[in-house]
Amino acid sequence: MHEASIVRNVFEMLQEAYPDKYKRIIKVQIEAGLLSNIQPILIQNAFEALIVEEPTLASIELEVLLLPIMAHCHTCDKDFEVKRHKFVCECGTPSRNIVQGEELQISRVEFLEN
Amino acid sequence: MSTPSIPKSNRMPVGSVQCDNTTLNLLKANDFVAKAIREKLSDVLVINVCSSPGSGKTTLMQETGKRLSDKLNLAVLVGDPETDRDAVRMKEVGINALQIVTGGMCHIEAQMILQALDHIDLAGVDLLFIENVGNLVCPAAFDLGEDIRVTVLAATEGDDKPKKYPRMFLTSELMVISKADLLPYVPFSVEAVTQDAREVNPTIEVMTISSLKGEGLDEWCNWLLEKVAEKKARLATT
Repeated sequence: MHEASIVRNVFEMLQEAYPDKYKRIIKVQIEAGLLSNIQPILIQNAFEALIVEEPTLASIELEVLLLPIMAHCHTCDKDFEVKRHKFVCECGTPSRNIVQGEELQISRVEFLEN
Repeated sequence: MSTPSIPKSNRMPVGSVQCDNTTLNLLKANDFVAKAIREKLSDVLVINVCSSPGSGKTTLMQETGKRLSDKLNLAVLVGDPETDRDAVRMKEVGINALQIVTGGMCHIEAQMILQALDHIDLAGVDLLFIENVGNLVCPAAFDLGEDIRVTVLAATEGDDKPKKYPRMFLTSELMVISKADLLPYVPFSVEAVTQDAREVNPTIEVMTISSLKGEGLDEWCNWLLEKVAEKKARLATT
């Protein structure tokens, strides 16, 4: 989707969330649900391009975790994985109750201790 | 800029590492503005109309305006990467319309809607359409503060769209199959597209229309009147 602006957002957001510790960040993990239309390789490319502009970011590792789509089946009262965008449980019950897959968030930040 | 000599993942940090597990939502800014729009337009039904380019959104808006002008006060915010042609087309048939030129962007963001609201008179308006930029990918991710999302799919586009662009159909309440007058001439199965759409979104409603011939437009207009009435009723009880 908009990987370049997303990567830019990541660092703006981190700067806001951790004004004191921002400079000590060494690793950032992003969780992207499969419904967010995020391509990890494009995130990495966009990040490399951002490093050209802001060389101080070169010491940070960026990891993208793709999360499968999970929905909840009320008949079986359990979660099932949605494959090929078929929002139907193996018992045959359709479900729009998405419990995972729409995320696009920073999930973990690692800092170097002083 | 030269490529870093050591891959980042192989570089060992010196000293101890402190971790913070968090959830910083990367679309938070947009969602925040969308919420503000919802609060601001609490007495207006807002419908976000999405589709591919050329599916007939503007023609549908024109026909809707003509048919509902004596029953509803309607306004349209229309987004396009360039030109104000669509707003001009709607004003020609008497619709209160404002063009949002996205400057090349492939979708409308909530901030653009919030800014546009200062430039359109919504006094007494019952129904505000947001005619999104023609694109079935990116607009799906951006909440514009709408009450309902509708996806228009033209019979000429092919019936494989719901499976190709699942997120758009997943987040839509209604799929409108447009250009139905061309159905006899194109390999498009309403049954197959409905089945695919419902595998993605079991509760999606499906309607078939032809803006040129008028088929299905009564059903569409009645659906809109019903949704406006529902929103007004909800407002009255809160």
